[in-house]
Amino acid sequence: MIIAERKPMNEILDMISGINRLLVLGCRGCVAVCSAGGDKEVDIIASALRLGRKKAGQQIEIDTDTLVRQCDPEYLEPLKERGKQFDAVLSTACGVGVNFIADRCPGVRVLPALNTTFYGANLSSGEWIELCAGCGSCVLHLTGGLCPVARCAKRLSNGPCGGSVGGRCEIDPNVPCVWHRIHDRLMEQKQDKLLKDITPIRDWTTAGHGGPRRRIREDLLP
Amino acid sequence: MIAGSNLEQVLRSGNFAVTGELGPPKSGDFEVVRKKARILKGHVDAVNITDCQTAIVRMSSFAAGLLALSEGVEPVMQMTCRDRNRIGIQADILGASALGIKNLLCLTGDHQKFGNHPQAKGVFDMDSIQLLGMVKQMRDEKRFQCGEEIKSNEPELFLGAAANPFADPFEYRPIRLGKKVAAGANFIQTQIIYNVEKFAKFMEMVRDLGLHEKVFILAGVTPPKSLGMARYMKRFVPGLDVTDEVIDRLSDAKDQREEGINICVDIVNRVKEIEGVSGVHIMAIEWEEAVPEIVKRAGLGPRPEPQGIEPRLVSTAAIEEAVERARHEVRDEIEKELKKARSEAEASRGLLIKEKEKASSEIAGLRKELEEMKDSAARHAAEVKRLTAELEETKEKLQQAGPLEAAVGEAVGRPASTSHTGFDQGTMTEGISSGKLSPREQEALSSLNLGLKALQRVLGLNEDQFEALRRFLEAEFLLQLGQVAQPVTTAAVTPPPVEVPVAEASEEAREAETRETAVRRQKEVVNLVAKANVLLHKNKVEEALNAFKEALEIAPEDEKALEGLNKAKALLAEKEAGPAEAKEEAIPPAEGLPPCPEEFTPEEWSRKWVVRYVAMGNVRLMKGDNDGAIEAFKKALELDPGDEKAKEGLERAKTGKGIHVPEVSAEKAAAEVKEPAPEEKKEAPPTEVKVVEEKAPEVEEAAPKEEKKEAEEAPRPAPRAKLSGAPEHEGVGSLEVPGLEKETRSLAERAGSISEDLYKEPCSGSIKDVIIGDGEKAIAVGGETTLPFYLFEGDMPNPPRVAFEVLDSRPEEWPDVLTRYFDDCLDDPVKWARKCVDEFNAKAVCLSLISTDPNGADAPASDAAKIAKEVVEGVDVPVILWGCGNADKDTETLREVTSLIGNKKVCVGPLSDANYRTLGATAMAFQLPVVASTPIDVNLAKQLNILLENLGVSLNHILMDPSIGAVGYGLEYTYSVMERIRLAALTQQDEKLSAPIVANLGREVWKAKECRLPSDVLLGDQERRGVIMEAVTASTLLLAGGEIMIMRHPKAVALTEALIEGLM
Amino acid sequence: MSDVILGFCCNYTSSVDVDTLKKAGLVPEGLRIKRLPCTGKLEINTLLDAFEQGAEAVFVAGCQIDKCHNLSGSQRAAKRVGYAKKILDELGIDPARLEMFFASRGETEPIVEAARHMSSVLSDAESIHR
Repeated sequence: MIIAERKPMNEILDMISGINRLLVLGCRGCVAVCSAGGDKEVDIIASALRLGRKKAGQQIEIDTDTLVRQCDPEYLEPLKERGKQFDAVLSTACGVGVNFIADRCPGVRVLPALNTTFYGANLSSGEWIELCAGCGSCVLHLTGGLCPVARCAKRLSNGPCGGSVGGRCEIDPNVPCVWHRIHDRLMEQKQDKLLKDITPIRDWTTAGHGGPRRRIREDLLP
Repeated sequence: MIAGSNLEQVLRSGNFAVTGELGPPKSGDFEVVRKKARILKGHVDAVNITDCQTAIVRMSSFAAGLLALSEGVEPVMQMTCRDRNRIGIQADILGASALGIKNLLCLTGDHQKFGNHPQAKGVFDMDSIQLLGMVKQMRDEKRFQCGEEIKSNEPELFLGAAANPFADPFEYRPIRLGKKVAAGANFIQTQIIYNVEKFAKFMEMVRDLGLHEKVFILAGVTPPKSLGMARYMKRFVPGLDVTDEVIDRLSDAKDQREEGINICVDIVNRVKEIEGVSGVHIMAIEWEEAVPEIVKRAGLGPRPEPQGIEPRLVSTAAIEEAVERARHEVRDEIEKELKKARSEAEASRGLLIKEKEKASSEIAGLRKELEEMKDSAARHAAEVKRLTAELEETKEKLQQAGPLEAAVGEAVGRPASTSHTGFDQGTMTEGISSGKLSPREQEALSSLNLGLKALQRVLGLNEDQFEALRRFLEAEFLLQLGQVAQPVTTAAVTPPPVEVPVAEASEEAREAETRETAVRRQKEVVNLVAKANVLLHKNKVEEALNAFKEALEIAPEDEKALEGLNKAKALLAEKEAGPAEAKEEAIPPAEGLPPCPEEFTPEEWSRKWVVRYVAMGNVRLMKGDNDGAIEAFKKALELDPGDEKAKEGLERAKTGKGIHVPEVSAEKAAAEVKEPAPEEKKEAPPTEVKVVEEKAPEVEEAAPKEEKKEAEEAPRPAPRAKLSGAPEHEGVGSLEVPGLEKETRSLAERAGSISEDLYKEPCSGSIKDVIIGDGEKAIAVGGETTLPFYLFEGDMPNPPRVAFEVLDSRPEEWPDVLTRYFDDCLDDPVKWARKCVDEFNAKAVCLSLISTDPNGADAPASDAAKIAKEVVEGVDVPVILWGCGNADKDTETLREVTSLIGNKKVCVGPLSDANYRTLGATAMAFQLPVVASTPIDVNLAKQLNILLENLGVSLNHILMDPSIGAVGYGLEYTYSVMERIRLAALTQQDEKLSAPIVANLGREVWKAKECRLPSDVLLGDQERRGVIMEAVTASTLLLAGGEIMIMRHPKAVALTEALIEGLM
Repeated sequence: MSDVILGFCCNYTSSVDVDTLKKAGLVPEGLRIKRLPCTGKLEINTLLDAFEQGAEAVFVAGCQIDKCHNLSGSQRAAKRVGYAKKILDELGIDPARLEMFFASRGETEPIVEAARHMSSVLSDAESIHR
């Protein structure tokens, strides 16, 4: 799941300065699940912005709506016309949604209400953790299912650095050393040979360093 | 051998290696690197150059490594993956290799979070193991990471990696080390070791994997600099195991640094014993000085002679040093050669001395022979005497016998004449040859001559030397003869009285006598010349010179003497030209005084030297140099044994009693002694000491006196009492100012043949005429067609005028020097104005209506108007009414005034853009001239004029006030603005700026602090100061184009009017 | 006009009429009370809207934290009040204008206290409604 979090209100207020008609547009996809951009958050953001503008002695007309997803074209279809009735659309979707609106809805000014943070999982209510970097070249089979690209501060490929002490990462004692865990898991699984093999230098093109990525599945193409 | 680095060679040769660490500076200061490199040089085999350690930006390891290399220290360049991707890393590796770096330590790098740029993007394109693999591939397979071939000069690097035995998981650490070895590590440097047991366990595991045979392992150590540092490392540095033992040892230590070094040495000694440890890596963080000590105490020194250090780039400083070294070497070489040559010269000199000694002993031998000869001569003389006696006896007997007598006389004379001829044939000089010598003496002389000849040959003397020697000996000989053989000679010379008649006898006797003196004189000359030559030889040139002179006094034409004199003079000149400086300090030997200058007699000269020696002695005595003083006094006594001062001085010097002479005077005396001015010397009585003693206080007294006089004259700040009391009022004296001398000749006359158009630049515009006042005393200003006082270029029909300023109420801030002239009328503006006219001959009066100022007294406009009316009616000269400067109030006041005075042509002002409408209309109604006031700006001035004109005020009724700054208070701005206004009017015919200018300067000048400060020594008389400031301001503004000057001080007015008169 | 203080009170807190309290001079004139079945029902945007609609200060009075009639309703309310305070802060509004209070069942005093507290917060603060 894509994890995102709301931008500070003052930043959003700055963003919408001069705007008199605003649509706060939510998404019921990932951002609703991670409580960043679903119906509830849309209401909160709308209320807060009204209050903020009122405090500044300015008028604003704010509508709210929430789409099933902002990352599928069919849901965006009505927005193409509706969006034009507003000075701007404040999307509470992840960056994908914002981009997609910008791509698909010419004449609609779209603004981001969220910072898209990472691919993560919900540890517990209100807590999310990054587990994948979307690097495009998965090595999890070599690392006991634990990703050193996403979870090691230095993205090491060949074992824990000298800063690994007591299973904790040197950059933050609250962060577990993923390589220590990989070590323990592989030892447990009697996969210790993997710990002795040298992982060669990676190809980072799959991680986006080769430019924007695109995936095509021929059989599904219209 | 992989890279041939010194580190590799030391390790491969089986030596226990020592590496150090050098943290580059957080600046571009290469001196820091050099300094650290020098500390480590010779104590370690190679030095790690950290690569922005702990992610803090520092000089790059590449650059700092090269600097270290240029210092002759082999770098181990550290390379992290944090800051560069594979492109940057490979590029730097090629560069490093090209520039002579041979060791590379491959690290992942500390996370940027720990550094000073935690927001940086960490690159981490690869990790340390992958980096090792990449560089190994570059080196061994000659391929870049992408697989492309490196066509030539692949990097030859000895590859290192780090290992942390104390990080977790512990059991994985040796395996990871194995990965590094497999990837390409040639050597390993471990994390800092304090827990040796754990390290030993780690090494055991490493040995189990057989890694210690595949890689050189250097144990990392660090001397803890302090307890604080140790505690910090223990608590905050991840992967660093500082044992409690270390903490305890430090906390117990008196000298923590010392203990830190001891701890480190102990660890080195312990890890050295662990199998598989090939060396130590000493990381003395910012404590490089500790490394040599640790190396020494751990018995790791001296290090093997470094090999393979070949810097491709050398710093200029290093080059300079090398050049300096080479220079030293060459110098040493030369000095060695020189020494050799010198010792050879010394040896030959010794030889020479020996030869000389030999020669002198030979001379001594000859002298002895000579003595013997003399003896034999004496013996012969005795024999002659005896024979003569015998002869006398025989004669007596023969007298009795008779005729034999003549025969005997003949017999006595002949041998003399015979010998005479014999002498002539020899080499004897005339002096001797003409002398009368006994045959035996002649015989002795001739044998002496022969001996001398022989001596000349033996000694290799040249002719001159020989001549000198010969003459000397002759002289000595003759002198001795003079005593010993005189009677004989006389006897021989004296003719037997028996032979000649009496008359002829006296004649003959006289002749003989003259001849005798001539001979004696001749002898003297010869002696003197001989002596002089000898002296000359002894280098006593001055004495020789005197001797020659003496000789010449006797025989002015003596060639030898003349020749000798010239020679001596030449030598003297040479001598004097030589060691001139040395002369001053050294005391010339008493008998060897410098030659007496022409203007002195030798006695005088000698006297001078006595005085000089005594003075010198006293100076030395004063300085405590008793020996030197004794020497000086002795010299003086040598010259004049009776000199009392010298005796006294000598006594004092010997007894160690100094003389108490003040420092200053002593120096003065010394200076006098050193530069003897002849006149002074003559005046100086022989008792020089006294002079010194007595003169000194005199000098001392004289100096302050002079200073005092200066102090009185110089305008230095007087004591406080004087300041507060203020000096007598000097004032400006009479208010009369004599007229300036006028130039009577026209410029054309003065310019002579210079064509007019070369200096004339007539203006095409003109200034408006403005008339103020009524009747006879009305004045017209303006009307110029030229720049101020450029009378050669155009007309200036009306001279500029000065108006006295009168206040409508008692001035509160006028200084006394100003009010004193109006003391009797300060409260009565009418009386005041009249006084200006009657006493000070005012041509106009400016009444300042200051009382109306709303910020001041705020007198009602009607009151002020009444006063103004009275003043206007009280004087017959034109009046300018100057408001308080508040636009509204001025409007009110001036309107009131105009309604009271009716048609009187007073000039009113100031009009500003705020009140020009109302006041302009009023003025227009009564046809009054107005003052248009603007704040120092040409455009504003013009604008106000235009506005007034638009209103209907004729330009012939406008005076411009451009706002005035006094000298020192913005005069230059006013000047510039006025000048531009005037130039615009005259040269560009800008009519709107062609109004005359009124300068209300008195108020500006007299509010300056320079006019208010009381008289004092430094600033001078207050009144004169104020007057000058006012007059200078006025004259400057006149030159800038002012037509009416409003001023305060009568004297300043008089000065200004005199200037105007003089220039018109 | 006196400051508007809006109190969201749980059904189980005191049900004394506000006007009575005002008459007694116990609470500020501007106090309004909204009663809720449970403060746990309170949404964040409701709190923000209260400010937007004219309140100068808002408080929430729920059950004692461990004695909520709906077990954790007042706890939830407290967390939401916290989040709303954070948003107020982001908007440049003093978060002290919004507080959570816990009142014993049926007692009036805590409500009076809460209203007085909010009034004191407003004593020298500028209005957010210009």
